Amino acid sequence: MHGGHATVRLPAVDITVMVVLVIVLALFFDFTNGFHDTANAMATPIATGALKPKTAVALAAVLNLVGAFLSTEVAKTISGGLIKEGDGGIQITPVMIFAGLLGAILWNMVTWLLGLPSSSSHALFGGLIGAAIVGAGFGAIDGGVLLSKIVLPALLAPLVAGLVAFLATRIAYSVTKKKHRDGFRRGQVFTSSLVSLAHGTNDAQKTMGVITLTLIAGGFQASGSGPEIWVIALCALAIALGTYTGGWRIIRTMGRGLTEIEPAQGFAAETVTAATILASSHLGFALSTTQVSSGSVIGTGIGRKGASVRWRTAGRIAIGWVITIPAAGLVGALAAWVALGGLAGIIVDALVATVVIGGIFIYSRRNRVDARNVHVEPTVLVRPKKRGKKNKQGLPR
Amino acid sequence: MIVEWGAFFQVLLATLIGACGVVTLYSLGLRLIDSDDVRPLRRAAGIVCLVLCGLVILYGVYLVIPFFHQG
Repeated sequence: MHGGHATVRLPAVDITVMVVLVIVLALFFDFTNGFHDTANAMATPIATGALKPKTAVALAAVLNLVGAFLSTEVAKTISGGLIKEGDGGIQITPVMIFAGLLGAILWNMVTWLLGLPSSSSHALFGGLIGAAIVGAGFGAIDGGVLLSKIVLPALLAPLVAGLVAFLATRIAYSVTKKKHRDGFRRGQVFTSSLVSLAHGTNDAQKTMGVITLTLIAGGFQASGSGPEIWVIALCALAIALGTYTGGWRIIRTMGRGLTEIEPAQGFAAETVTAATILASSHLGFALSTTQVSSGSVIGTGIGRKGASVRWRTAGRIAIGWVITIPAAGLVGALAAWVALGGLAGIIVDALVATVVIGGIFIYSRRNRVDARNVHVEPTVLVRPKKRGKKNKQGLPR
Repeated sequence: MIVEWGAFFQVLLATLIGACGVVTLYSLGLRLIDSDDVRPLRRAAGIVCLVLCGLVILYGVYLVIPFFHQG
């Protein structure tokens, strides 16, 4: 295995098999990333009727596809400094990436089932952290970076977006009279499209990074080189397909579950989301799109007189954010621990994950949400009926 | 823990100006282009507002696409 100060004990499974597995998982993660985040851009135009549900997800899918091809620069490290990589740190092996991806995917599936918007990047970081702790101990994690790059921005993102969305909503309602406000529907299409495009340029790139760094680690690609064209194309397709599939449960929570959204509010919320994402990615203070977007919706709910925010739903979403990293980390750690058993362990991991994902999918059919019933108020959605311990099985034990 | 508060307040300010600017322009445009009041000057001012708003959104597209501003 790789050298370095803290040599990872994870087994040396045939590297080609491992790299192929990681690529498949990374693409599936990209797909879940797509359907998880459709809501960020398209929940409000769907809620106000500015776009038909199917049209909205098709538009978002196309913009994500285009966005993925527009921005292909890959990060130097897989964890953005969260895990001490490289000189003096640990080497993140394909096995760790495999386990981390499993954690991220399963957490994305569980939060989708619950209709909770949660950050896919946080899920990925959580999974990797869990796997790295099993592989190399707690010393592998940079706690300061975790606080300053993840925890604090997660608190600030909804605050910034919420505050600005509140003000923007007030402006929209004080400048216009009731008879003008239908015109905001047309504007919503543009601002939501901008959010979608920004998402495509941001998020597909992350998966390209994971795959490219894995190929480099496996010796299939020169160190420091950019993503291969087939990697770019596959990542773009996976995120677009995921976006088109539409995380209808999350769209329903964001568009209906938090507050009633009128066109002027939808316009204000998406404008704020776009502005916050653009400002944060260009001025060097990274904020999570999902958290910004949820904050905007809540802010616009407070901003319109007569609207009410369902704080219980907001609270559940917040709890989801808090446990995203630990939960994905736990699954990542378990998967890494099982993977210590070599090829057999990795096969067990893959089988268990397939069964759990299939189980979540079958369970979701009981209470189906799609383009047709996305406008129905989510009463049971965020808290599905409790049927014994069924829900707990979302995490492999 | 290093928190870049300077960067944070820059983001807050940029968001505030950008988002409130777009919403103000678009709202003014809707208000000024009124089917009950078709004075040409008023209508022209409304169109100017919408065009300006469109330009800001295009600037957003410019920012999103790295090709335009990274060599």
